[in-house]
This record gives sequence, C-alpha cells and structure tokens, in this order.
Amino acid sequence: MKAKSQQPEMNKSELEGPRYWRSLDELAEKPEFKEWVHREFPQGASELEGVNRRSFLRIMSASFAAAGIGLAGCRRPEQHILPYSRQDAAGAPEAVIPGLPVHYATSFPDENDHLPLIVETHSNRPTHIEGNPDYAPYGGSTHGIAQASVLDLYDPDRMQSASKGTRMVSRGAVADSLSSISSKFASSKGAGLAVLAAPSASPTRAKVVKQLKQKYPQMIWAEYAPISKDTAERGATAVFGSPVRPIYDLTGAKRILAIDADFLNKEAASNGLARAFARGRKVQDKADAKQMNRLYAVESNFTLSGAMADHRLRLGTSEMAAFTVQFALAVLKELGGHRDLVQALESKSAQSSGDAVWIAECAKDLVHHKGHSVILAGSHLPVAVQALVVLVNELLGANGHTVSYVSVEAKTAASITDLATAIKGGQVKSLVIVGGNPVYNAPADLDFGGLIKKVSEVVRFGYHYDETSVESGLNVAASHYLESWSDGRTYDGTYVPVQPMILPLFDSWSELEFLAILGGLSERDAFELVSATHREIASGQDFEKFLSVGFAEKTAFKRSSASIVWATALKVVASGDFSAPVLTEQNLEVRLVKDDSVGDGTYTNNGWMQECPDPMTKLAWDNAILVSPKLAKTVLNFDTKSGKFLIQGIAKKSQVMKGGREIAPIAEITLNGVTVRGPVHVQPGLADWSIILPLGYGRSHVGRVGKNSGFNAYPLSTSKGFYQSGASIRLTGDEVRLANTQEHWSMEGRAIIREANAQHHESHPDWVNHMGMESHSPAIYGTDKDMSLAEKSLTTPRGGSLYETPDFDQPAPNLDAWKSDEAKAKFIPEQQWGMSIDLNTCMGCNACVVACQSENNIPIVGREQVMRGREMHWIRLDRYYSSGDIEENRVSLPADPQASIMPVGCMHCEMAPCEQVCPVNATVHDNMGLNVMAYNRCVGTRYCANNCPYKVRRFNFFDYNKREPDEFYLGPLGTNKNKTEAGTLKAMQANPDVSVRMRGVMEKCTYCVQRIQSTKIAQKVKAKDSNDVHIPDGILKVACQTACPTEAITFGDISDPKSAVSKAKANDRDYALLGYLNVRPRTTYLARLRNPNPSMPDYHKLALSRMEYERAQGHDPEQGHAEENSHGGAEHATESHDSHGHG
Amino acid sequence: MANIFPKGANSIPWKLGIINIVLVLTVIGGVTYYATPKWANVGYMPTQPVAYNHELHVDQLGLDCRYCHSFVDQSSHSNVPDAGTCMNCHSNVSSPVINPISPKIAPIVRSFESGDPVEWVRIHKVPDYVYFNHSVHVNRGVSCVECHGQINKMVTVAQEKPLSMAFCLNCHRNPETAIRPQSEIYNLDWAPEDPVEHAKWAEEQVVNWNVNPPQSCSGCHR
Repeated sequence: MKAKSQQPEMNKSELEGPRYWRSLDELAEKPEFKEWVHREFPQGASELEGVNRRSFLRIMSASFAAAGIGLAGCRRPEQHILPYSRQDAAGAPEAVIPGLPVHYATSFPDENDHLPLIVETHSNRPTHIEGNPDYAPYGGSTHGIAQASVLDLYDPDRMQSASKGTRMVSRGAVADSLSSISSKFASSKGAGLAVLAAPSASPTRAKVVKQLKQKYPQMIWAEYAPISKDTAERGATAVFGSPVRPIYDLTGAKRILAIDADFLNKEAASNGLARAFARGRKVQDKADAKQMNRLYAVESNFTLSGAMADHRLRLGTSEMAAFTVQFALAVLKELGGHRDLVQALESKSAQSSGDAVWIAECAKDLVHHKGHSVILAGSHLPVAVQALVVLVNELLGANGHTVSYVSVEAKTAASITDLATAIKGGQVKSLVIVGGNPVYNAPADLDFGGLIKKVSEVVRFGYHYDETSVESGLNVAASHYLESWSDGRTYDGTYVPVQPMILPLFDSWSELEFLAILGGLSERDAFELVSATHREIASGQDFEKFLSVGFAEKTAFKRSSASIVWATALKVVASGDFSAPVLTEQNLEVRLVKDDSVGDGTYTNNGWMQECPDPMTKLAWDNAILVSPKLAKTVLNFDTKSGKFLIQGIAKKSQVMKGGREIAPIAEITLNGVTVRGPVHVQPGLADWSIILPLGYGRSHVGRVGKNSGFNAYPLSTSKGFYQSGASIRLTGDEVRLANTQEHWSMEGRAIIREANAQHHESHPDWVNHMGMESHSPAIYGTDKDMSLAEKSLTTPRGGSLYETPDFDQPAPNLDAWKSDEAKAKFIPEQQWGMSIDLNTCMGCNACVVACQSENNIPIVGREQVMRGREMHWIRLDRYYSSGDIEENRVSLPADPQASIMPVGCMHCEMAPCEQVCPVNATVHDNMGLNVMAYNRCVGTRYCANNCPYKVRRFNFFDYNKREPDEFYLGPLGTNKNKTEAGTLKAMQANPDVSVRMRGVMEKCTYCVQRIQSTKIAQKVKAKDSNDVHIPDGILKVACQTACPTEAITFGDISDPKSAVSKAKANDRDYALLGYLNVRPRTTYLARLRNPNPSMPDYHKLALSRMEYERAQGHDPEQGHAEENSHGGAEHATESHDSHGHG
Repeated sequence: MANIFPKGANSIPWKLGIINIVLVLTVIGGVTYYATPKWANVGYMPTQPVAYNHELHVDQLGLDCRYCHSFVDQSSHSNVPDAGTCMNCHSNVSSPVINPISPKIAPIVRSFESGDPVEWVRIHKVPDYVYFNHSVHVNRGVSCVECHGQINKMVTVAQEKPLSMAFCLNCHRNPETAIRPQSEIYNLDWAPEDPVEHAKWAEEQVVNWNVNPPQSCSGCHR
C-alpha cells in the first residue's frame, strides 16, 4: 500500500501549478478514501462505488453540465443532461431538487465565539454564507471573514494532501505516523510529546483533548492565537476566584465606555454587541432621540467603534492601564466608599496623558446612569486591567444588568511561552502543531521558527502550506469547516454544530479525526464524536433537529453564582502594573493590531478579503504603517506646503493621491533593536505618538493571492504583548504605491452625510430637510410633493421634470386582456422595491461588501487594477473625516476628526440619469422600479457610468472572471481561467442564479434581482389560480441586508405603507443623497445622530460635519444660526449653495 | 492611343452595383432567416442514448409528465428523471415487456447499478443568460405543450417551438392565448371545447389571477 501510493517527487512547476485534479484523481480511486467515506456517510457512500473520476466530479459539482465541443452537425454544440443516477432514499442527494438551493445550518469556528450560519448550497456546492436568523443574539448577521470563508474552501492553493518535504504522503501513511507517535509516547506517559493548537470553542475537541491528557499526563498541551480574545475572561476569573466569562448585554446600556476596545467589530461576540448597541441607537421619532445610548471611546487606533463614539479620547495603548485606574478613581470619587480599593489604586499613582476633566465627566455620566452603564476593555489589554474593569462594572451596578458572568470551564492549556521554555530545555521530542501558524505569528522574541528546528519530529496539521509547514516534517492537510464534522459554542455558550455539506475536495483530515488518531482513541469518527457530545450537552434533544435548527436550545452557560472576592480583587489590582510611559516624539508607541481584512494572517490568501478596503484607511491589498498627522509632521518631517502631506483634502493639491494610487514613503520602525520596513499612511484620529501596524501581511509562504502583499509586523511582537513603547521611526527615502479606494476624505461642507446632535433632533426633528441644495430649490415633486410614498413610487409624478414616465399602477398598455376598465380596476401593481440605510447604526464593518461579492459573482481585480480605480464592488463604504474647520482642512489633515461612514450602492433612481444616456437601451427601468442592466445589450460605451452622480457603476475593463490578474493585458492570448484547474475550482463558488459578466459590459447593484425574482416566483407558485401574488413583507431579504450586524439596511416594498422599509422612510431623518438632482433614488438614508454630553470638554454644539456645512454656507456655527435652522426655502433660494464640486 | 478599357467596361460600375445590392440583400435575408432559432433549432432531434418513447409511455400507458419530471412544479429546472425512476417499473423481471435485461435500456440499468449518469442529449435550451423558470409557468396555467409541443405524440422528441426571445415575448404580451384551467396543464391533448368561450374565459382569468408576465429585462435576465 505504502509503496503504491508514493508519488514521484514533484518538480517546481508542478508544485506551484494547480494540483487540483491530480490529487482528486488519486483521492477518488484510493481504497482508503472509499473506506473513509463509508465511515463518514454510511448512507451516502454507496453511490461512490466504482465511480470514476469524471462522474464523481459531476455528481459533486452539478446535476447537468455542458459537454460542449462535440458538434452534432453544424447547428449547435451538443449538450448533455446528467441526472442523478438514483435519487431515492438509497441514493445520495435525496433532498436535492435540481435548480433549487439547499441550505444547511452550521457555524463559523472561532476560538471562543462560533458564529451560527446558514449556508446556501447549489448542487451540493456551498456558494454563499448567511447568519442563522434563529439565533437571536446575532439575529442572522455575519462578518466579512465568515462571508469570505466560503472562498477559502475553493482555494486552489490550499494543502491538497499530506506531504513530507516534497513527497506526497498517503492517508494510510499519515495514520501510521500518528499511531507511531501515539505508541511511542505511551510508555513515557507523554513526556517528550507536545501539542501546540489554535484555541477552539469545540466541546468535542475539549473532550478529545481531555482524553489525550488522561492518556499522556506528561504531555504539554499548549494553545496559541495572536491577540487572543480571552483576556476579559481571565480578568474576571481572577476577580471572582472561579472561572467565569463576562457576557455583555448592551440592550439596556445607556452609557458605554470602551477602553481601546473595537467591541463592535473585532472583540468576542462583536456581532451580538453591535446588534444590541445599534438597537440602542435606533431612532424612529424625536422621542427616541432622548433614549439613545452614548458611547465614550478611548483608543490609540481609529477603530470603527471609535468612529461610532459620541466622545473619543486619543490615548496610547500603553497608557490604557493608567487611564483605567484614573477612571476607576473618578468613579469611586463619585460614588464614595470602597476606601481600600481607592487606596490600592491611589498607591499606583497611575497617570495617563488623558484629559482629567474628560475622565471625570465621563465617570460622572456613567455613575449617573448606574445600572445602565458599562465599560469594556480591549482584549489586548493585560489581565490586571480586565480585572479592574470587572470591579468598575460592579461599582457601576452593571452586574446583572449590562454585564453578567457565566461559569465556564477552567482553562488548562499551557501558553506558547511555556512550550518555548520546554523546547529550549530539550524536553520536547515530538511536536504536533494543530492549526495556527506559529512560525509566522508567534511573538518574535520566542523565535519559534528557530525553536522548532531543535525538535526532532514536527507534525503539522494545517489548511495552507505556510511558514510553519516549511519547518515541519510531516504536513497533514486540514479539511475546511464546510467539509468536516465538529461543533462549538457561541460566546454565551449555546451549543452549535459544524456540519459538512460537501465531501472533502482533497485528501484532507478533520481536526477531530486527526487528534483522535494521534491520541489512539477508540472512537475516531468525527460524526460519532460530535453526536456523543450532543447527547451530553443537549441531553434529550433531537440530534437531527439540532442540525436543522443550527443550535441547541438552553445550552448556554449557566449564570455564575460566584460573587467578587474583594480581598483577591484588591490583590490582583495591587499586583498589577498600571504604570504608563510618557509617550513623546522620542518615545513612540508601537501597537500591532489584527488587520480588519486578513485578520492575523489566516485570510491573506483570500482574494475577497484582500480586495476589501480597510474600513478606515481604505487601503486594499496592503497594510501600512499608520501614523498620526502630528507624528508625520514633526517626526517624519512631512512637508505641508508641497502637498506631499495632504491626502486630497479640500485643497486637492495632493501629490500623494493619484487616481487610486497612494504614493507612500517607506519608513523604518526600530524597537528594541528590531527594525521593520513598510509604507507610511497618515491616518487622522490616531493617538499622536502611537504607530499602528496591522498584522497579517508580508507572508513569506503563501498562495498566489497573498504573495507580495504588505509587510510583516510580527517581528515587533513580544510575548509580553502586542504593544510597546520606545520605538523610533525614520523615512528611508524610498516610495511605494498603495491601492487606495478613496482618495478624498473631506465632505467639504456638503450635505452628503447629514448629522446632528440628538438634542437638536429632539427640538428640530425636521432639520434634515433644511440641509442641502434641495432645501432651497423648488420642491422636486412640484405640486405633488405631498403625495404619499406609495403613490409616488407607483406613479412617478412629473414634478419639475421634462419627462412623463409610465405609471406602474396601470397594466402594461400592450396587454389586451387588461384594456377594459373593469380589468384595470382589478389590477394589482408590481411591488415597488426600495431601500433605507440607517447611517445612525451603520458602522462600516464591510460585511455587506463581502456578502454582495459572494452573492453576485463579483470578481476580484487585483492591486494593479484597484490602483486604477477599477475595483468591482457593487457596494462601497465612503468614509469622511470632519474637523469642523473647513479652512483648516485646506492646509492639514485633522488630528482629531469625527468619522462618518456611508454605504453607497446603486440607488435605483426613478429618474435614472444612466438610462437616459445609454445608446443601446442596455440599462432600463422595469415595472418594479428597478434600474436593470441587460448585460447582453451592453456595448460598453460607459456613458452611463459617466452620467451616474453616485459613481456606483462598475465596468469590466478586462475579462476579470476569465483571466488571472497578471494576464489581463494579454486579452484573448491569456489563459482561459475556466479551463485551468484552479479556475474551475474557484468557479464552483459562483452563484448559478447570477450571470457571470464578461469583458466590456457595465454592471452594478441589482437590488439582488435574482432574490426578488425567485421569491416572487415562489409566491406565484403558491398563488396558482388566485391573485395573491404579492410577497409578504420581511420574507425577501437582500444579501447586504442579511449580513448587516446592526440592521442598518432595510429593504422592501415601498408601495406598501405597512412595510418595514416604508416605515423607515417615514422617519424624520430620511433624506436622499444628492436629492437636489431630481433623480429620485429608491435608496434613501436616515441621517446620523450623535449624542454628545454637554459637560464634556470636547463637546461640540454641532456635529463636526455639520459645523463644516454651516461654515460652507457662510453661517457662523458658533452664533447658533444653524441651531435654529431658520433658513427656509425662500430665504436662500437664490444662493447657489452646495454647488461646488459634485464630481 | 488606343483605349485601355474596352467599351464594355462602361457597364462595370452599375453591374457591380447591382451585384453588391443582390449580395447584401442575400446576406441580410439569409441571416434573418437562417440565423434564427426558428430555422436553426426547430426540428432538432438528436439521438438519445436510450430511445425513450414518449408516445408509448405517455399516450399509450398514460404516465403523467410529473411522474418523471417530478420537480417541474417546484423548481426552475424541469428535472430529467434518475435511473431509479425508470427502474421502478423496469425492474419487473417477470414481465417480458419491461424486462431490465432488454438491451434497449442497458444504459439505464448500467447507470442504476454503477451510479454513472445517463448522458441524455439536451434538446430544449435557452441561452445561459436566460433564467427560465418552469414552476411559475406550470403553476399559473401555462401547459407544457405551449413550449414543448405535443411531446405525448412524439416517438422521438424534437424541438417544436423556436424558444427565441420573440417567442417568449409573444406569450408574455398575450398571456390569454396560453393559459388554461389548472386541471388541464399536464393534459397535453386538451383543447377547449368552445374556442370562443375559452378565449373569453382566458381573458377573465388573466385579470382574476393577476397575470402580468414580465416584459422588462429583469424578468428573465439577471
């Protein structure tokens, strides 16, 4: 067996080239594989008997496929329809109806917070991921990484079989190697054996690990993930004396303080936190404005949570501990009592550079809302800070209201530092690395890459062939989570399944099986292991139901009965280090953060995540050294006058930004003798002396997508933490070009994103209509301005327009049956689709961008094309900074701006300017109010894109779907990707309900027309011979809407006054972007409200963008003119407000 | 100096002109006639791996369309049956007629046993960018016969209708010509007893059922 399956050594081109079919060929024919399939799917395995490779693939990939070339005469190529062989209970795909998707419930694995999912599969190919709406805390929301994980499944660069050096290793040989390790250490009780695993929330894995440890008590089981999310738990555990986990419930939280925590986006359970936080900011009418929650954020980086904050204090991360002490003291001062804690804290004499008044007023506000306030700290902050946060929350009466503590299992895994010490001491003979990528991402001071060379046997279980694989002896390919059985827990402990919906595409192993064989366990089948765990955790519940619902009810962790042990707590605080360095231009702080797109480097080879622009910097495909404007000016001597420094602010004299290309100078950061080189991006809003370095780039061994992207910041990490002061930075004089999707950062006082303070909204609920040009111009709907939204949508009143548009409330004039008046009276018009986006809750997390990409077959175009502004995303997030001072914006970047974020996709204008200029009628209106694209008619004049005021149309300059990015310019001479193995593999992700666009056609958001049509058809199928053809509200959801964690997007029928979207649009804050153009967009926005505290030192009477707006109008915002908002239509009708620079 | 061109050369320009006009007209006429689905696709009758006889099964034995095309009323795609469906009857060894050892159905038996699909040749096909949906048509009163013709009379299936965009739109603009009572949708032999009365009925039902077939691009192209 062994000899037979050993392959000749692969040469270089074979290794680099696609290996997909080759190994699949082997896979399908191997007896072990068949046997293994038998064990995993006892029912469905039989259809694989005697199947050759071709039919195996056909069964797997599609029910019918084009056979293409064989011409049966000259008429047309012969195509075959390949039905399933047996579609009964004995055959495999019994639930499959060809043409209809099948949905599976599963969950996205995470170290402590599985995300419940519903995965759409077409012909058993997973194509699109959505959240599980039945799991209430997350309400069906997802995040970009979970969305993009489906692409990883079809990554041609993933490990396709086990290998040793350059030799492929068969399944049998892998099992043999693992068993030999298992028997080798049986006598020594595991002494000499070490396992380094990525942390996991799977109870079954925990059980397997427990069994492993019982068998090998001497074994070292270590877990490591960079910037682990479990510090809050460890802090609480230290204070409570028993293992507990804080669960935040922001539903009732009125005042929130986030200490360096991007809790809306990157912390544990952030989907739930964002959802609850957003619910506290949903404002339907002016009474709600009073109820809005208030967020204080203290941070070094400019995170999305910071952009949502009502007050934001910039502070170095190394000062956060001291800040927390100061804040705790301020709270204690308000509350009185707790002498010993005060003493313990005062003895720390911790002093951050934060404004004392800011801290005092913030504390006062939180204390004032005792029981409805809460503070959170970022998971990179040390345990002592987390412990102090628990104490402060206790003082604020948060426990039981806004935060509760649940009992969890005690953590027993060793740390990577312990493991490193053991390796140095020569105690490790065999090291098994399960997941993760420690050679790349372990703290640099451990020199893990050097360390594992000392271990005689290294076995690696991983998904990609990466930096760690290079250093390992035996590499075992891991299965994707969509191909393997496992389970997990959400952050609150609810038990969720991880179930496969496709057979492993390659010769890979599930983690549970790998560990079970390594431990020599009697039960090695992952399915059996998981169902056994289910019997324990959810005893009495049906396993099938568990799999179909996607979670087991009432399995969340129990509320802990423990209470804070103040004596221990005081000790924890007393022993903690809360000192703060004085950060200056000589003593800079470096902070490493997980990148918003590629995380810690796990997703570097994922094209969707790479191309997804960073929400704040808007950089795609690269990371950059982020520095504050002040640092750039004083330390790096950026020249303000020459325009080198300005990044296309209001002055537009930038030499740094040219059509998507950011010319970034290269700098070197030196910290403790270690130097890292990278391009500099000046980021407004950072703490002055903090340098932020996103991790996850600069990989040395990565697939084709992630190659040559960014620089590696891990060398600056230490086992003490991922931030440190004492760094210096200098420019090298070199420059590099970065792909930046938004060069312009200022709204220039225009009414693009309309913002007001909550108080103002209470007194002037109609303020939004007093902004922008349309508040001065004649009413857009003319005499019909008081028509209801439903009527407007159906009749498109002419208003001031030249055109008379057809009415949608009448049957089409060419239908004979509908000509009579009685017939017309019975006519039920088509539903009119519209969208409302709440800017008050949108936080700019990019989940919608990736969801749209996955749903609509949007290609990635690569760095070079993004630099030319040719990214294809149908929805983009515009991010603006405002400083309040429009004059200052001409000469400098704002140091402490407010950020505003706005998702922009096709607005589906009722009077669409694009339609009027299309010479071939390729973009037209349909009777559902959609602005549709007929790709086949499009000849690519791009007039439509030029005439679109929102710039949302995307043009296929090249065959992005057919060619590899490096072959775009070869045109037809390039390789047809659809004929390469890597290309066909990627094509399996494509949504069959959406056309794949070719070169030379325009495309844009379609309002997910495929979803509209399929839902409409489902309704008509139900209606049969009745006229019940309208889709009930709430059934149809578009891709961006379902992905949104904050429920910011509402979609539905605007001709139905009772629909959710009509109600959203009836909000006072509803306005149209560039409404004065009379294009009548179907997508409208709800203006943003900020909720600042008047007693704070950084209180502004107006939102900063509003201040800029008033200044641009020639008003002095300090005089309160705007506050009264007295300028009505007639008064300023002649002024040409807002007329500058629409382009 | 002698004339370079003979006298006959004077007529060359107009002769050429006429030839050109004829050529252009022929090309235009040829393309409009021959390069349309009406000419190119109607009558397409490929040889199938198994000479399945619809006339025998449907007309003589009385099988319903949905016995084999079982998901036609649920899905966009009208499925071709799996070999298992055929074997429901053809596994009856005692009957000489539907004996599974008949060489005529050997590919089906082979598929049933091996799991390999039978490679049926596709006859009715719309382009990739057309998203035709069977379920919405058959559930809203449009019979199979409207697009496929009388399959129940075909010994070998051939394409009968052009299935071009004009063909689709013709119906979408005159839905009353294609709808019939819900009970008769799969009855391919059905014809109204009184065509005049039926036309009136159909016009009424178009209104009562609110039949407004999409005429805009988004109806079929996504």
